[in-house]
Amino acid sequence: MSDFNYLDLCADCVRKAVGLGAEWCDVSAGTGRDISVSVEKSGIKTADAGQGDDVAIRVFVKGGMGYASVSGRDPGDIDEAVRRAVALANEASADPDFKSLPPPQPAPEVDGLFDDRIAGMGVEDVVRITVANLEAGKALEPEANLSGHVGLSVGRGALASSAGVALESRGTDIAADIEALVKRGGDTGYFYEFDFGRQLADCRLDDVAAGAVLGARRFLGARRIKSGRMALVLGPLASYGFLGGVVAAANAESIQRGRSYLCGKVDEIIASPVLTVIDNGLVPRGVRSGAHDGEGTRRRPLTVIDRGRLVSLLHNSYTAGKACTESTGHGTHSGGISPTNLRPALGARTASEILREVTEGIYLESGELRADPASGDISASIDFGFLIRNGELVHPVESAMIGGNIFDLLERLDAVSSDAREEPGVLMPTLRIQDVQIAGAE
Amino acid sequence: MEDLARYLCELAKRRGASFADTRVLHRRSESVLVQDGRADKLAAYTDRGVGIRVLVGRCWGFASADSLERSRGEKCVDDAISLARASQDFVSDPAMIAEVAPTVAEDRRSPEVAAGEMPVKEKISRLLEYERLGRALGGDAVVNSIVSYSEGTREEVLANTAGTLVRTAGARAVVTCLFVASDGKILQRGTEHRGILGGPELLRQVNPEAFSVVAARKALALLKARPAPAGRFTVIFHPSITGLLVHEALGHNAEADAVWAGQSILEGRLGDSLAPETVSIYDDSTVPGAFGSYAYDSEGTPGRRRPIIEKGRLVGFLHSLETAAKFKAQPTGSGRAESYDCRPIVRMSNTFMERGTVPLEEMLRGVERGIYLLDGHWGYVFVQKGQFICHAGQARMIERGQLGDALRDVSISSMTLDTLKNIDAVGSDFEMKMPGMCGKEGQSAPTDCGGPHVRVGDVVVGGHAEE
Repeated sequence: MSDFNYLDLCADCVRKAVGLGAEWCDVSAGTGRDISVSVEKSGIKTADAGQGDDVAIRVFVKGGMGYASVSGRDPGDIDEAVRRAVALANEASADPDFKSLPPPQPAPEVDGLFDDRIAGMGVEDVVRITVANLEAGKALEPEANLSGHVGLSVGRGALASSAGVALESRGTDIAADIEALVKRGGDTGYFYEFDFGRQLADCRLDDVAAGAVLGARRFLGARRIKSGRMALVLGPLASYGFLGGVVAAANAESIQRGRSYLCGKVDEIIASPVLTVIDNGLVPRGVRSGAHDGEGTRRRPLTVIDRGRLVSLLHNSYTAGKACTESTGHGTHSGGISPTNLRPALGARTASEILREVTEGIYLESGELRADPASGDISASIDFGFLIRNGELVHPVESAMIGGNIFDLLERLDAVSSDAREEPGVLMPTLRIQDVQIAGAE
Repeated sequence: MEDLARYLCELAKRRGASFADTRVLHRRSESVLVQDGRADKLAAYTDRGVGIRVLVGRCWGFASADSLERSRGEKCVDDAISLARASQDFVSDPAMIAEVAPTVAEDRRSPEVAAGEMPVKEKISRLLEYERLGRALGGDAVVNSIVSYSEGTREEVLANTAGTLVRTAGARAVVTCLFVASDGKILQRGTEHRGILGGPELLRQVNPEAFSVVAARKALALLKARPAPAGRFTVIFHPSITGLLVHEALGHNAEADAVWAGQSILEGRLGDSLAPETVSIYDDSTVPGAFGSYAYDSEGTPGRRRPIIEKGRLVGFLHSLETAAKFKAQPTGSGRAESYDCRPIVRMSNTFMERGTVPLEEMLRGVERGIYLLDGHWGYVFVQKGQFICHAGQARMIERGQLGDALRDVSISSMTLDTLKNIDAVGSDFEMKMPGMCGKEGQSAPTDCGGPHVRVGDVVVGGHAEE
């Protein structure tokens, strides 16, 4: 990767924007390269590589925002983008709720976000990991149909603002995601597995395909079930999606605008007391970690739900200014708000113990269990689930759905497991929710 | 752009590729978001670059760069060839490419109103008017409103080592609105969206009464709607839900890359009867003005009408140059790439069911107790299992052949092959107004989908309670 100075580029763009009339401005710029190997029919299909730079300019005039981004580092394109951002900000409506961009907030970089080993890897290394997966998967199930990707990315960038922010960062990522399809006669079992990290040492990339094959075998023999009210146990992958949706709904802009089901719920009980969720963007080696957010605000751990009570919202600089509070460090450079690493507080009993107590229910291994962002209604498919009877997984289910409202589900949440799947930065426990409406096709 | 594209193809050939194609692309877009009476966010995006795909021995290699400099392109050629060579020994299914006559063509489609011709102020003013009229309907009950518009132009040159050279230029525009209504206890949303092959003229074509006022009315109506029941029902799909069915449940399964990879439930089913004879389903990238239309795909193959199901029988798949070679079929112009940094993959365009003969009123008469699903929002599918999900923004109970209570938004889930078999009435109407971006393998492609009303038995509805 070149030693081009992106911070100087950002600072130069800020100066030009201010010279053109920007009252506030911040600029992010960076470069990245990636390698990806695709798998199809249990062999390599293609190997891809890309390299690119991006520059994004955000300008405020009387609080109105203009934004322009450009790929590449062509000086003419970048100057045009600066002019366009200023022009668009002048066209935007004045916004008295905009107060300021964040001032400089020095903070030590989070450990472990860049790995020289990943940065030094080439396509041969990615091919080796891919082949190791294919061999392990086929050793388990010679006829398994494996597909997916193995890839890495290496990037660095900078952020500068008219408020004095001047930050540089760099990072690496490596990931493998493999899907396995196993057929027995007319029956099909299908599942996926993945692993990812900022450091090679945090990953077991060679084992992903084997995990997918084992998962696919478990999903052979899916059957229809009857409708009814029963317990719903969310495995680690399903619980991550479910809680991620709740934390994303704590987006301060959605609440200030009046469009979130969490409007009017701050400091209210929204869930059973077993639920505490912390968002922490400072976890070393975390996949969503970083010392600062996309606007340059210092990140900090934030308890969003404390023993069932919604205690904090996720703020960027705009929503914090509007609410006369401090940004929580969840801003994106384009003006959005995004959660970081979710760390639910763990409970007292293991996932196995929680499952064993269920007389009749559904175990959702993975699937979208997201609520409508306004009403909180849930109407979701059981994409990868099992029928539970007397504490045991009996068989996979097909053509079944979950219905209800997010608050009903959160209130009936009665257990969080003491053990959890851990991925870099993220904790994914098992959750149990009582008395959930299941619609079946039998 | 042309010279660069041709030069890089020749270079790839000299360096050992048996086939190569190069796409040089320049995209610009602009968006305006109006919220709660203010022009809130205005943005512009530009990107350009080159992507090179090479076939070396048994494997593909692909490399891209965000620059049109010759030296960067040359490095891409070297990288792509190195990538393909590094993977040679681990290919289980050797890559192929259809040998077809080269296409030399140009297709430039200018919007009626060029991107720069309508001032930003006019765009803002029109969006504010949409918003004002929607809010006027609901008064204080409307707590949040967003109207957003985006337009984009795309100029592309494609060349390949077989002699194809295709120059295309076009534009697309989309306008979307969201109204959130409250009765003090619950919130509900109503949305509408429109999209065209074209530019800012969209804002002169879209009538607020049929757009933002409709969205606001939906949000307000949903406040009075009750949750849908849970269980198995006979359902009637509005054309927008029929569109989701043919796109998600069938269309993705008919993409030949999935079929060849053994990932589709349609593998080995060509010629089989999958639905009643009243059902015919097509993908067609030549529908004039439709959001998913194009003249040439990203491999230079002309777009066309592609039969998937005719009179209930599976008659064809969607093909790229590679899948056409593997199936010994004709390419259908379905190889699409989102941008220069993406490989072409098999995609849909405008996918629809052909109209039948049954009026909606007659369809309703045949339902003792069921659900009418309308306002298609989104869907997804697991082609490997043949399981799909569609989400309806609104619904109505059907009781003894009559439309009954209004129901809140709800999803359905079913198995593709079961659902096709269970279609027992195909409507005499037709609508295709679902412009959107379809996601696959990390790429987005503009598509549209639709059809007539259809009635389907035995569908699982994910409602709140059994009744």
